[in-house]
Parts: sequence; C-alpha cells; structure tokens
Amino acid sequence: MSHLRHCLIVAGWEFRRYFKWKDQIIGLIFFLGISGVWYGVAKVLQGRGRTITVAVVDMNLQAPPSGRLEFVSAPPTDSARIEGLRAGDLDGVLSRGRDGTFDLLVEQDPRYQAELQALLNAISQGERLGASGLSPQDLAAINAPAPLDVRFTDPTRQQTGTAEKIIAGVLIGVMLISVFTSMAYLMTGIAGEKQLRVTESVVSAISPQAWIDGKVIGLTAYSLTGIVNLALGGLVVGISAKLATDFAIPKIAIRPGIVLVIAVVAILGMILWNCFFAAVAATIDDPNTSTRSSMLMLPAIPVGLAVVVFRDPDSLLSHLLAVFPLTSAPALPARMVLSNPGIVEILASLLLLIGAIWLTRRVAGRIFEVGMLLYGKEPSWREIARWVARPTT
Amino acid sequence: MQAAIQVDRIIKRFGSRAAVDQLSFDVQRGEVFALLGPNGAGKTTVVRMLVGIIRPDEGRIAVSLDQSTTSTLPPEQTGYLPEDRGLYREVPVLRTLIYFGQLRGLTAGEANRRAHEWLERMSLMDRKNERLDALSKGNQQRVQLITAVMHKPTLAILDEPFSGLDPLSQEFFLDLVQDLKAAGTTILLSAHQMDLVERAADRVLLMNRGREILAGSMSELRRHLDDRPRVRLTIEADGNTQAVREDADVEDVTVEEEEIHITLRPGASVPSFIARIVSLVPIRSIATEAPRLHEVFVRAVRNDDRKADS
Repeated sequence: MSHLRHCLIVAGWEFRRYFKWKDQIIGLIFFLGISGVWYGVAKVLQGRGRTITVAVVDMNLQAPPSGRLEFVSAPPTDSARIEGLRAGDLDGVLSRGRDGTFDLLVEQDPRYQAELQALLNAISQGERLGASGLSPQDLAAINAPAPLDVRFTDPTRQQTGTAEKIIAGVLIGVMLISVFTSMAYLMTGIAGEKQLRVTESVVSAISPQAWIDGKVIGLTAYSLTGIVNLALGGLVVGISAKLATDFAIPKIAIRPGIVLVIAVVAILGMILWNCFFAAVAATIDDPNTSTRSSMLMLPAIPVGLAVVVFRDPDSLLSHLLAVFPLTSAPALPARMVLSNPGIVEILASLLLLIGAIWLTRRVAGRIFEVGMLLYGKEPSWREIARWVARPTT
Repeated sequence: MQAAIQVDRIIKRFGSRAAVDQLSFDVQRGEVFALLGPNGAGKTTVVRMLVGIIRPDEGRIAVSLDQSTTSTLPPEQTGYLPEDRGLYREVPVLRTLIYFGQLRGLTAGEANRRAHEWLERMSLMDRKNERLDALSKGNQQRVQLITAVMHKPTLAILDEPFSGLDPLSQEFFLDLVQDLKAAGTTILLSAHQMDLVERAADRVLLMNRGREILAGSMSELRRHLDDRPRVRLTIEADGNTQAVREDADVEDVTVEEEEIHITLRPGASVPSFIARIVSLVPIRSIATEAPRLHEVFVRAVRNDDRKADS
C-alpha cells in the first residue's frame, strides 16, 4: 500500500479523533452568546435606559434628540435643588457664572459628563465664533489639515491604513493560536499513544514516516477548522457590533491572489511546526515531568519576531523574516498586507518553506521511529543526533 | 513444506549487551511455532525484528509468504499482537477496528464487514459503539486480537497472547489459534504458559540469554532432554509411599494427594519396578508419563545458566 494512502488513513483518523461537531457548535454558540451580551450592553449604554434630567438655572438649553439628556428649569432655591438631587428627581443642576464658567451641582458621580461636555463645548464654540465675526465655514477652512497625497513608485500599492494593520495583527495572532493548538493536540496525542502502548500495533503495519506525516496532516486540518470556526465567530461578533453600534466594518480591497498566497504560507508554516512538535513529543516520556516540554514554547519566538514586520514592514529585518522558513509563515502574510513584496520574495519564501518542511519531516520521522518505542526514559540529545544520522534501510 | 520465515544468525545488541546472539531458525508454512524462554531471553526482540519494528545488527531474515522472498514481512499478509498491548481507549471499538483494518490494507467497507464478523464471533457485537476503556481487560484483549487477525493474514505473530487472561479466556484464545491454523495461517507465538504452548505448538524454540538452547517438536525436546522413565501411580487414601521412595531404581518422587509422580533412573525397567511395588503399595491405577514442557523448560534453562556461570 502506498505511503500516501497510509498518510491519508492516519490523517483521517487523527482528524476524527479530535474534531467533534458538538465542540464546533458549542464554540459558535459561545460567540453568539458574546454577541448577544455585547448587543444588549451596547443598547443599554446607548440610552435605552434611564433619561438624565439636568435642571438649568437661567439658561435655555436644547438637548440633542438622540441623547439621554433632558433639560428642565431649576427649582428657585438652593435647598429645593439639593432636595431634588437627593430625592433622585434631578441628576444635576447646571448654572453659569458671569465669567462664562459652567457649574454642575450633583449628588452622585455624573456618568453623563462627556455627553454634557460635548454640548457645552458646542455652545461655547458658537459664542466665541459669533464674537470673532467668523462664519462656521471660515473656521472649518482654518482648521482643515494641509492636503498631502502619498504616491508609491509601484502604482498598484496603497498606503497602509489602520484596517490593514488590524488584519496583519489578526493574521499573526491566528497563526500563533493555530500553532499552539496543534502543539497541544500533538503533545497529548503522541504522549498518550506512548503511554497506551499503541505504537507497536501501528508501526508494524505502516512506516513511522507515514504515521508522522498523517498525524501532521490530520492535526493541521483540525487546526484549520478551528481557524474557520474562529473566523465565523468573529464575523458573528462583527455583525452584532454593527447592528448594536455604529461600528463600521472596514472596507479593504483584498485581492484573491494575496489571500491564496497567505493561506498557503500559513498552512505550510503550521505543517513545519507540527513536524517539529511531533518529533519533540516522541522523545518525551512523561509530559508532566519532562524538561523538554519547554521546547514546545519555541514557536513563540519567531512569531514574536514577526511583530517587527508589523512595526516596519519594509525594513531589512522584515524582508529577512519574510523569507526565513521559521518566521515566514507569520511574517510574509503580514508583509503582504502591510507592504508589497515582490514575486521573487514570495517564491523564495515558499520554496524555502517547502524545503524546510521536507527536511524537518525527514528528521522528525527518524526521531519518531525510535522515540515512539522508547518507554521509561528520555533520550539524550546525543542519542537523538545518532538516530537522525543513522543510515536508512 | 516450505519455510515462511528463515532467520539466519541474527544479532541484536543494546549497548554492549547482545539481546539476541547468532540466532537461527525457520518457521514452516502452516505450522504453529513457539518461541519460549524466561524473562529477558530475547523473545520479544526477535519478534520485533521479524515484524520490522527494529532491525538486526547482523544476520538475515528471509520471508516467503507467497511466491516472492523479501527481507521484511508484508503488513497486509501479517497479523501482529504485540506484547506491549494498547489501543486508543477513548475511541469506540468499531471505529478502532476499521482503522486498524485499513492500516492492514482493507478498504473501509471491507474492514467494517470483517469487524462485524469478528465482533459477532467474540460476543462483542453489543459493545461495538462503546469506548474501549468501557470494556473489561479480557474483552480489550479480544479487540486487540481482532486487530491482529481481521485482515486474514497469512502469518500471525502473537507475542504473549495468553498473558493477563483468565483460564476461560486462555482456552478461548487457544481455540482461536487452532482455528487460525486450521484455516492455513502460519503462527509464530511467544508465551510463558507451557501447558498451553504444549497443546498449541507444532515446534518449539527455547531461548535463553538471546541464544537457542533447544529446538524441535515436542517429542524431540522431551527425548533430547530427559529420557528417564516416568510412572504415575494413583494409590488408596491411606497408602504408604515409603516403599516407593526406598526402591533402588527410583530417583525422584512427587506426591500430589493420591497421585505419586515417580522418575526412575536412566535405563531402569518400568515393568520390573511395577512388579516390585505392586505388592507393597495399595495401587488403584498405573500410567507411564512423558516429561511436561514445563519441566523441559526449567531443566534446559537451568543447565544453560549453570554452563554460563561456570
């Protein structure tokens, strides 16, 4: 039977071991719950709650129609005003001194202060404008920023905006989550197989290389379903945020080619790290006591380094990180979103990543072959090096 | 008969210690061949080399299950029950069986059909959708055995198939071994349970310290190691055995309630011995005995250990 068929059987098995529709649905329900809470809280905060009544002294204020504020005439005496505040009939008493200073008398901390401040700012600004003889249009023209058009030598490139930066950050974050999710499952799965003594039954039927390849494929596929679920959840939360508030979902012109390259690079990066994890896990006898478990945190370093791209996508270091196989999976997508890497850089990155995967899976296969049958002790680094260097049959 | 497996002077070292040392044997097609030996004799190392999990440092293994000869066992034609047994405990029984069937070359549909057949045969059909860890240890062993034979292998390698089983399950497994043999499957087994091996095996190889110390059929082993005549007497409850012990031809006596197992000196005449004691001891029945495999095993290993120590 072919190596590929064995890989696919193992991949299917590993995927089904962990993928449960119930878990996926629970995950989505969780996001729906968050969205519901967000929606409800936003609506309450938006003034669907209690009206704020502010008594004004010798003033005629108009509350904006969409706000919570309501202005009424203040009682004639100070004692009546204080009584109104203490009884909860009034939330504040607003008066104005001769020098134009506003004074707000309250019983409790005024949570509506920002709303009131905006209204008073507009009143003050209008008064000062009238005194200066300028029209509102004149003021707008004075305050307008100097026009500046940024053009790139590559006419197809656009300047990075906040939305692009958010997307780049999300890509790096998702990559990190996926890598550590796979790591957790590979770690528990392989350690469990060693402890349950499943190994001999499997390696008598298929090659250790087919086993590790299948595991890596299966768990990478499982991690991808996690990403899809996360994306669906994010979409649900985004839509609910849009419905509940005036949150504007940023419009970003995403080119399908870039999406494809980003997806391929991200998947290859996960495969590379999963090969590494499988090899390390095969050398660990007991995950609870092994000092080698700390090695599983290594992916945090290159993923962390990829933040450099986020800050300065066109620096020399960013170029290098986007090509170096251990960092290219988070760094290249970030550069593709924030900058405009050339086709040579993309191809070099992909080829180096594929080469690194081939090498890592071969090394991992050799470590896995011996490590999976080693019970009760952890091999030294020298022993591991010997396993890797030994001739193949 | 043609050899299914030929092992030629294989050596396997772990560090400076030779776990298997210049071992040669062959397993004929259709026979039940047993590897025996004390703990640490190297049986499991031999089995692992045969299955291809580890490689011999020296020597050659030739496998000929059909027309071709190879150096490794083809997984589709081989069934393997490892000594270190284990399956995925959190996975339902049927799914586990289908997976291992597929790994051994069956399609998913065929693996499903065969799994159902075997579950029926093992009286586990009503447990097929339960997680493996919901089953008793004996039933888990049965599931493990199904994974080893459900693809109808030409050769089944069973490492300690009887260990950890109660007597009824041991009998069940023994019947299964005999059924597999009747169906033409070549079987190589390693075991400690001498009485069961004695009943199942056509030929035996006894190992100690990684080397062969005895090999052959059961009758050849007995003849080779112990040609002293043996007699079993059943006596009356109040019978005195002193006269038996004092007979000049008697070398060893073991009394088990009303049964006396007597070993005579080499060359002693059984009829003469019986004629002498029949008037001295109240005897209900007399039978001659062959040495049991257990005794052959113990004596051979002790002899080998003595030789090695000296």
